[in-house]
Amino acid sequence: MQPIPPSTPGSRTRPGLTLEFNDQIVRQFVLATVVWGIVGMLVGVLVASQLNFWQLNFQTAWLTFGRLRPLHTNAVIFAFVGNMMFAGVYYSTQRLVKARLASDFLSSLHFWGWQAIIVAAAVTLPLGLTRGKEYAELIWPINIAVALIWVVFGVNFFWTLARRREPSLYVAIWFYIATIITVAMLYIVNHLSLPTSFTHSYPVFGGVQDALVQWWYGHNAVAFFLTTPILGIMYYFIPKAAERPVYSYRLSVIHFWSLVFVYIWAGPHHLLNTSLPGWLQTLGMTFSLMLWAPSWGGMLNGLLTLRGAWHKLRTDPVLKFMAAAVTFYGMATFEGPLLSIKSVNALAHYTDWIIGHVHAGALGWNGFMAAGMIYWLLPRLWNKPLHSVPLANLHFWLGTVGILLYVSAMWTSGITQGVMLNATTDNGTVLAYPNFLDTLNTIRPLMLMRVIGGGLYLLGFVLLAYNVWQTVRGAQPVNGTIEVFADDERPDAEHLGLVASVLNPPVVFSVLAVGFSCAWMFGREALSIIGLVGLLFCVAVAIAHFQSKGKAWAGWYERLLVNTAPFTILTFFAVVAGGLIQIIPTVLADHTANSEDRLQTPYTPLELAGRDLYVREGCFTCHSQMIRTLVPDVLRYGDYSRLGESIYDHPFQWGSKRNGPDLARVGIKYPNVWHLRHMEDPRSISVGSNMPPYPWLLANNLDAGILPAKVAVQRVLGVPYPNWTPAQIATRVNEQAKGISADLRAAGAYVAPEKEIIALIAYLQQLGRVGNPTPPATLAATPAPKG
Amino acid sequence: MPTMPPNAPVPPPPSSEDSLRPHVFDGIQEYDKRLPNWWLYTLYITIVFWVGYWGYFEWFGIGLNGPQKVEQGMAKIEAARLASVTTIDDASLWKMSQNPVFVEAGKVVFNSNCIACHLASMRGKGESPAAIGSDLTDTTWLNGGRPTEVYNTITKGILLKGMPTWGPVLGAKKITEVCAYVMSKHQEGEPIIPADVPPK
Repeated sequence: MQPIPPSTPGSRTRPGLTLEFNDQIVRQFVLATVVWGIVGMLVGVLVASQLNFWQLNFQTAWLTFGRLRPLHTNAVIFAFVGNMMFAGVYYSTQRLVKARLASDFLSSLHFWGWQAIIVAAAVTLPLGLTRGKEYAELIWPINIAVALIWVVFGVNFFWTLARRREPSLYVAIWFYIATIITVAMLYIVNHLSLPTSFTHSYPVFGGVQDALVQWWYGHNAVAFFLTTPILGIMYYFIPKAAERPVYSYRLSVIHFWSLVFVYIWAGPHHLLNTSLPGWLQTLGMTFSLMLWAPSWGGMLNGLLTLRGAWHKLRTDPVLKFMAAAVTFYGMATFEGPLLSIKSVNALAHYTDWIIGHVHAGALGWNGFMAAGMIYWLLPRLWNKPLHSVPLANLHFWLGTVGILLYVSAMWTSGITQGVMLNATTDNGTVLAYPNFLDTLNTIRPLMLMRVIGGGLYLLGFVLLAYNVWQTVRGAQPVNGTIEVFADDERPDAEHLGLVASVLNPPVVFSVLAVGFSCAWMFGREALSIIGLVGLLFCVAVAIAHFQSKGKAWAGWYERLLVNTAPFTILTFFAVVAGGLIQIIPTVLADHTANSEDRLQTPYTPLELAGRDLYVREGCFTCHSQMIRTLVPDVLRYGDYSRLGESIYDHPFQWGSKRNGPDLARVGIKYPNVWHLRHMEDPRSISVGSNMPPYPWLLANNLDAGILPAKVAVQRVLGVPYPNWTPAQIATRVNEQAKGISADLRAAGAYVAPEKEIIALIAYLQQLGRVGNPTPPATLAATPAPKG
Repeated sequence: MPTMPPNAPVPPPPSSEDSLRPHVFDGIQEYDKRLPNWWLYTLYITIVFWVGYWGYFEWFGIGLNGPQKVEQGMAKIEAARLASVTTIDDASLWKMSQNPVFVEAGKVVFNSNCIACHLASMRGKGESPAAIGSDLTDTTWLNGGRPTEVYNTITKGILLKGMPTWGPVLGAKKITEVCAYVMSKHQEGEPIIPADVPPK
């Protein structure tokens, strides 16, 4: 590859001035991408190995799977892909709008602020400081920093757009706009918390509400952090690298708007067959299926842009990586809707299949787009040819083989374990594999294959790092320049006012269609029928109107593209609709009336402390607390979970993966001493288990001093605790702890009442006790309603 | 549906599809190709599916929801279990405990579910004071030592003493087998000494 000279100003002869882009910030983000990519993947290989070799937890609190798995996901999503996204957005935006980034200060603040956040995350997560919600684990002071730095990013970006010399917004910019506003919305809502101390807080939502908000966020973090910005990057770098025009502008329009609108609704597919209300599950599943075509629209526009350039794939590692990345994107976005079908989900959910699915996206789509982009940028940012193209090609093949090994191992593993867990004998009356460990130990070779696949992928990425190092070393950084002219300034003639932004055929028909759909789905009797008829009528009129006045639609859209603010507002409307319609009814509903007669009893203070230990150790990374409405789940774990049973859980702990069995009703199964021995040395009880030992829980004293503050916050959040004084709380803690300690002593094992393990046992032993005729005696004085 | 009749004036003739849009962004040009039909139909079919699926499950309420389905499934299983009940008495369990097929099958079940507490030797606390389960090979019994009593202990569990309920997990057949395995360590007619207080 040869360095490309700065863009030529064409044959114009007018006097202009040379504009220098801020490519320094792009270089910084590129290098950060490489560093954090290696860190994130290295932790990934470690946690994958821990699942097979429990010894790799090193009996050390901060090295256990439960604490490192969130570090892996956060590092890969927010550090690796985050930095990559910022590099790509900043590089392409400056060129697409013909303007230098608005503020060098904001750019620098963005970079250093983001790196500081990553370092803070890398320190706090292993220390066990966590909010207990997936991809939203960071503690509240870091949350505030993330929100502020995201605003810095947004201001810097929109300010640059405001100073653009290119009147019209290219499709990549549409995706960046959607990314910035949607991530801000999702992040803020899902991180609303009430602090109990500087390092701990409880989310304001609880139980099913928390579950819904969490997966509205979690699913759309995938959509608007890992997908839309990368699609924007694809729309810039693939045509540049292939030197081919984008395949279809109208496909860009249709798939952009359908993608950002439909994505938001699909979050509940992470909660299929749980106690989430049925209508939300139906919405989640059907909208996930409707997401298939919009996602593939992006894949088509990426792959078909390569038409006429396929021969370049043989020689150019950039195009190799990008073509493979878009293919993996297509694969993952076909698999997503498939996994959202309730019956497929019944098999696949909680298994390795989901892990395989996300890694097809993360390794294939995100990782390969990052690699392609970096290989393309290096010669241009450092004015020096790439150190070694053969090494980049080797990276490509190592990566590809790595992904295929990883993904096929996880598919096989997930389906095998799912089938075994669901298998029954004796005319379907008894589980074929009642011992969970039988299913775990069957998939161990596949878990090993996953480590090998992931290791190969990491090795390939290390080659990239070496290539970057050799290219950058001793090279002269160079900033891109462009000639600009006075008449490049934007004309104001096409200004689109508020009325014209809203009152135009595409927006009016869309709003009517959504309104009628909602009337049909949520209205009663007459309203519902009006909704359905109105929807069909609206669609028919829209089609007729488009056929005769299609040019007016297209003309309006062209005008919209030269108006940033109306474009941004309409994008916000598109993404906010799904969330409002799903979340508001769930938050407003009288959840105590909706609890199916299984209203949770608030935890005793000791149990609450134990629950926070459960969250601290990341138990939710391997154990669900949600028995689904499926016969095999009920046969294995007991009666299916009801909404009311976790209604006071801040945060909810339904979980998303079963590396171990479900714990929703474990409290009524084993004696205290079982749990003690199991936490101390899991294999002394469960032969063949891969769970790490937790000896520090037996050594550490419980910090009970924080409990009054925690109970006070729980009261504010609506958990019906009496107004206990700190002394009353201390008395309750002591009484219950002494009881458990005495019981352990009677069983031949002595642990002092003030140890952490006592609190954890107290918590585990009440799981599933809701509705039990004999609640723990210590709760008798609690005036909480009994289910 | 917006499939174009063959003689419709729109969309523009194919030649205009191959022309590039006038605007160039940093050297990037755009075609404006027609959307592939198969892609459009995929989109339309999923939308129609949404209408149909919502109608079936939520509007008309014909389809069963999760709780209804699982209650129905569990009721069927309960019925099948009731139908397969055969009388279990001491005599037949003693007979099974001498049948190597039953004992071998019971050993497999025992080793994968019971040894955590009772140890592989079946001696539990008799072998190691740290064990959770009691010794099943001696003649002291916490919950009765007749084969049917052992069978009931396994099936229903003794929660207060730490014995889990195995009935719904293992099923009658496996419990019969594991009971046979336990009784294979005993002789019909040997003494049964009740132990009311759990050993310290």
